[in-house]
Amino acid sequence: MTHTQDKSSALGQGVLIFVYLTILTALEFFIAITFKSVSILIVVAVIKAALVMYYYMHIYKLNENSDDDTHSYSYKTDTNRLGLWLFLLSDSFVFAGLMAARINLLGFTRPPLNQLLGLAVTAVLLLSSFFMNRGETSMAHGDTKGFLNNIVITFFLGFGFLIGVVAVEWRLAAAEGLVASFGNPANGPMGGVFYIMTGMHAFHVFTGLIFLFVVWNNARKNIYSAEQHWGVEAVAVYWHFVDLVWIFFYPALYLIGKLIV
Amino acid sequence: MKKFFSTALARGLFWQLIGTLTGAGLVTGIRVLMGLSATDKFFFTEPAWVLGGFFGVLFFLAGNGSVSDWFKWARGIETPEHHEERYTGWEKYLNVSLDHKVIGIQYTVTALLLICVGGLFALIFRTELAQSQLQFLKVDMQLFGQNGPELYNTLMSLHGMIMIVSILLGVAGIMNYVVPLLLGAQDMAFPRLNAFSYWIAVPAAVLLLMSLVLGGFGTGWTGYPPLSARAPVGVQMFFLGVFTAGWSSILGALNVIVTVVRMRSKGMTAMRMPIFVWASVATSIIAMTATQLIGLSFQLVMFQRLFGMGFFDPAKGGNPVLFQHLFWFYSHPAVYVFVLPGLGVISELLPVFARKPLFGYRWVAMSSMGIALVGFLVWAHHMFTSGMNEYLRLPFMYSTLLVAIPTGVKFFSWVATIWKGKLTYPAAMLFVLGGIVSFLLGGLTGPPNATVSVDLHLHDTYFIVGHFHDTIFGGFVFPFFAALYYWFPKATGRRMNEFWGKVHFWLMTPSFFVLTLGMMRIGLLGMRRRIVDYDPALNFDSTHLVLTIAGYLIGLAVLIFIINFFHSISHGEKAEGNVWNSRSPEWQVPSPMPTHNYDQPFEVVGEPYDYGLAGSKYVEFAKPEKSKNK
Ligand code: HEM
Ligand SMILES: [Cu+2]
Repeated sequence: MTHTQDKSSALGQGVLIFVYLTILTALEFFIAITFKSVSILIVVAVIKAALVMYYYMHIYKLNENSDDDTHSYSYKTDTNRLGLWLFLLSDSFVFAGLMAARINLLGFTRPPLNQLLGLAVTAVLLLSSFFMNRGETSMAHGDTKGFLNNIVITFFLGFGFLIGVVAVEWRLAAAEGLVASFGNPANGPMGGVFYIMTGMHAFHVFTGLIFLFVVWNNARKNIYSAEQHWGVEAVAVYWHFVDLVWIFFYPALYLIGKLIV
Repeated sequence: MKKFFSTALARGLFWQLIGTLTGAGLVTGIRVLMGLSATDKFFFTEPAWVLGGFFGVLFFLAGNGSVSDWFKWARGIETPEHHEERYTGWEKYLNVSLDHKVIGIQYTVTALLLICVGGLFALIFRTELAQSQLQFLKVDMQLFGQNGPELYNTLMSLHGMIMIVSILLGVAGIMNYVVPLLLGAQDMAFPRLNAFSYWIAVPAAVLLLMSLVLGGFGTGWTGYPPLSARAPVGVQMFFLGVFTAGWSSILGALNVIVTVVRMRSKGMTAMRMPIFVWASVATSIIAMTATQLIGLSFQLVMFQRLFGMGFFDPAKGGNPVLFQHLFWFYSHPAVYVFVLPGLGVISELLPVFARKPLFGYRWVAMSSMGIALVGFLVWAHHMFTSGMNEYLRLPFMYSTLLVAIPTGVKFFSWVATIWKGKLTYPAAMLFVLGGIVSFLLGGLTGPPNATVSVDLHLHDTYFIVGHFHDTIFGGFVFPFFAALYYWFPKATGRRMNEFWGKVHFWLMTPSFFVLTLGMMRIGLLGMRRRIVDYDPALNFDSTHLVLTIAGYLIGLAVLIFIINFFHSISHGEKAEGNVWNSRSPEWQVPSPMPTHNYDQPFEVVGEPYDYGLAGSKYVEFAKPEKSKNK
């Protein structure tokens, strides 16, 4: 594979995108506590998603046709890439269905959640995406050591997100009565929606962690190179996809609508 | 016998049993520690059965070896792209193979098996319906924790879902076998994923059948809450089984799309792809995406039952209509998953047997895509009486009627292709024609259902049952049989017996039309569907008796087919050449197909269906010496 970018400019681009995403996330939070405009929030989320898809997930690579020899590694990588993206497309229907359920059942109300914690886990996941991007870029330039370091950071940030949601937020929500609301008509299906949305997302984070471990372990055995590292690319794209989902779930659960206790 | 127990199938089933016990035991242990009840009516408690069922699937896949290469990759170990086939004969089909042809046959035979199971269920409840009053499914009987009418409901529901799964497998079988051959590819894009997609369907079928003995469920194949939220634990096995089978469908479809995009042989531009390939892509787009939503809707009911999350429970502020939206978002497009490949088979075979070019190739290719896309926008036509927002009725009525246009395109093309053709009538062609007529009846009865004012009366009557049996037989069953008669020699080097093929056709077709038209008749007169008994005063007894007899005749015809099928594998008349005089590439090489498909790659040099045009050619094979260095 040829590198159109040298390493430092590729890493620099990752930083820039990270800064944009951070600003947009802060903007989201600001809008949510001031204007409370759902349409602006949707626009911001879509912009964030587009940035992630283009600069972190490299969706444009789907259009690449790097080799005509059908037995070459890069031809197969192009094929694998298409397969992975189709899988993500399929998977996104699950999340879209959950979103539809949320809109149908909760409308313009939202569950009582800890805003600071929400912002914190969102930031952590965003940061993990940033390090994932650095890791992949390192590998694309043959820097296995840099890859290993970045992937460890990504892993622990992802793990932190999981703890933040499942161990902390779920307990806090239970204390707020969301579990009890399973059987409580006054709150409606609020608890169910909250737990199923975060749960389905957390399950994907969890599988992402497993994949991160797998590529980390394999990279230690030096089986990836600058030219041949489809495994790394696949895990990176998957990890960013998990972040992508959260870009929509975060405002849907924390930011839009009226608070109902 | 010893050989059988060492096959991947037997090992998988064994591990599924172990997995089920492990999962169920785990939950039971935890419950005991927490001081909750350990057992229930069906020995284990409901959470225990659910985790057990889930573990069973995982253990099956891990135990039968269909994921072992992936585990190796995860540990950084490389595996050869293709494994040498270790088995021959029947053992090849009961073990994990990566060859798309073997997998295609595995799918097909499993589908035939499930058709027999589902058909048997239908005959049982059809027998009960032959007369008004309860004959043998009586209230005072008990079987699997169900009384007679409850058993009726379970059999009726399982008939529906088992048939649907068998259709999905049959579709996957034909696509798997044929698509790579039509493309000139050596295999599917992801052979391991392909094997995985097949094998995951086996534990799914087991789960579906488990629901029968775990108290069953009376919801019909649609599993609507609130009824499904209250049904016995069997409904959980049903949900889990469908969810698992859904993954088979999703991953198989993904594989087909990637294969078509990436692995066409030289010169096969989009507008020179065989129609069946177009149809497979259209089908796969639906199956790959929409299937997630039936999985999700069923999961939500499972969670509602397990944890009390009241998604669909009005008493807790939930919304049962939401379930129907999620469910039909898949299940309407799903009907096109069933029929598009079949309609593709019709378009594929008609020119061969009419010796004429397919009329309007481009339009037919596009109509498959059109149906698939419009099919995503019509789901609420199943919900006109559900109590959904009334303003939704009109748009969904019109979008539904819109589907008739691309469907009409196909009919137009078929009729024009038949027009002045030199038709021959082997069994395969008979089934193609039978499919067209049956699908016509099904298609014509669709728009009345789509018209709100009419549907308010027709909904949930036997008219609907007649409608969809006509569409599904026309779009799947007849073409499926046609495809089997047609490609059987390709797979085995032998032909199926023509005489018995014709008996099969002439027995099944009239019986089938009697069955569906009879259903529509009593449906119009007010016979409700999904019900074990009816009022003798309605005077439906004689019609129901006729329907039952017709049902048995169809069963007999299918039995004849099955015997013919298995008998011909070893005893059929030899047919190793281009039996049908087809232009398609797979028939230009001897049968049965060699293991790695084509020895020489081919190039597409003309239009696929120019039958009867002098000097025209579809494919040209490379010269042997040129491709030596490949
Ligand atoms: C022009 C074409 C079609 C139209 C306009 C149409 C319309 C409809 C409508 C409106 C219903 C709902 C009726 C009711 O429940 O009250 C229905 C039911 C159904 N249709 Fe069709 N249909 C068409 C083609 C097909 C095809 C191609 C298939 C499948 C192979 C199919 C399979 C079914 C099934 C399975 C049901 C019953 C679902 C259930 O309630 O259990 N239809 N159709
Ligand atoms: Cu429909």
